[in-house]
Amino acid sequence: MGEKTINVQGETCPVPLVETRKAVRKAKPGDILIIKGDHPPSKEEIPMAVEALDLELISIEEDGKRWVIKIKIPEEG
Amino acid sequence: MKDETVYLDNSSSTKMDERVLEAMRPYLFEKYAVASSEFGYSLGIKAKEGLEDARSTIADKIGADAEEIIFTSCGTEASNLALKGVAKKLSEDKDHIITSKIEDFPVLKSAQSLEKEGYEVTFLEVDDEGFVDVDELEKAIDEKTGLVSIQHGNQEIGTVQDIEEISKICDQNDVLFHTDATHTFTKLPIDVSKTPIDLLTLSAHTIHGPKGIGALYVKDGTDLEKLMDGGFQENNRRAGVENIPGAVGFAKAVELVTEEENERLKEMRDALIKKIKDEIPDTTLNGPAKDRTPQNANITFHYVEGESITLHMDMRGFSVSTGSACFSKSLEASHVILGIGGDHERAHGSVRFSFGRYNTMEDVDRTVEAISEVVERLREISPLGKDK
Repeated sequence: MGEKTINVQGETCPVPLVETRKAVRKAKPGDILIIKGDHPPSKEEIPMAVEALDLELISIEEDGKRWVIKIKIPEEG
Repeated sequence: MKDETVYLDNSSSTKMDERVLEAMRPYLFEKYAVASSEFGYSLGIKAKEGLEDARSTIADKIGADAEEIIFTSCGTEASNLALKGVAKKLSEDKDHIITSKIEDFPVLKSAQSLEKEGYEVTFLEVDDEGFVDVDELEKAIDEKTGLVSIQHGNQEIGTVQDIEEISKICDQNDVLFHTDATHTFTKLPIDVSKTPIDLLTLSAHTIHGPKGIGALYVKDGTDLEKLMDGGFQENNRRAGVENIPGAVGFAKAVELVTEEENERLKEMRDALIKKIKDEIPDTTLNGPAKDRTPQNANITFHYVEGESITLHMDMRGFSVSTGSACFSKSLEASHVILGIGGDHERAHGSVRFSFGRYNTMEDVDRTVEAISEVVERLREISPLGKDK
């Protein structure tokens, strides 16, 4: 199990979602992904993707314009 | 990503039919020699027979003679050969070329490249459904015009041009006519014995054949310069060892297409267009309702970005493409949607659904269900959607 941070601050749609998808594809079961961004629609779109991909949304933290989304890749079985 | 994919990007490329692979197999593992004449050894002669049978099959499909088919590495090479190969042979007083603004890149870029070399090139406008105005074409032809290249079916919005009329105009004006039939070959009738077409681009991978093989029909007597130096293959018109397994696979792919299959493509296309129109507000069909390639539906979902749609559809197990900028390798919005008078918003929200042999009507229902949800949710979070 590992932890990976994806920094997409300053990036706009669809880049944060593209980078998240890339990280999800490379991640292993149990891994935690931390996505840091500041584009408002991406903060909404990433949880949408988490739901579609049956991942676990751990948290969404906001600090002004910036946001941090934590995702867990489900354990196998 | 979901394991099971509903693949609706068959205009980009198709899944190869397993029967095509079976037809190719002997030419990979048994008759693998280069094609040779009767003066050569048996393995090469057998390979040559396979190549020539494939050539005949493809020629028959368009009413051509086998000698008029040149195998190439792909449709792109075929269109490059058509435009550049002909252009190099045009006399100085015939160096005007006419094409349209919405051609696929092989023709468009070849024409632009020739323009840089000093040829005069006219890029015709199209109407809001993508049709070339034949009167405009006729007006554009002058005594210097040597070649006209207008595609048969459009790659993005499916517009089918009236190539019978266009080819007749060219013929009457003694101008060579090329058409890119990548998206119509085997799906719509093409008969070069009845229609005065001089050059025609064909491709295998869009009809469940192998990648890496295409062909150019060149009417007997048409002067064409070789683009690559090398051997004397393809009647000394295209150098390089022939891709015989590819050619055999191409021919098999042609044989496997049926009219019933083409009808089924149309039914799926029409059902998808109707369901989206009925169920999702603020959509625009790009391209015509009639005279459209059987496999193509292209719809703009206003207030959302095409990339977001394709990404969220992918996560639900659906493969579709968009004319939006980031999706394209050129990082530019679709020149086709812009060419039919659409603005950048229309191009960015455009999604192409293209059907193939392995799609079913159930795929249509599932696709519409998924895209309804995706578009609705994206509109909720889209700044454009909120303002509408």
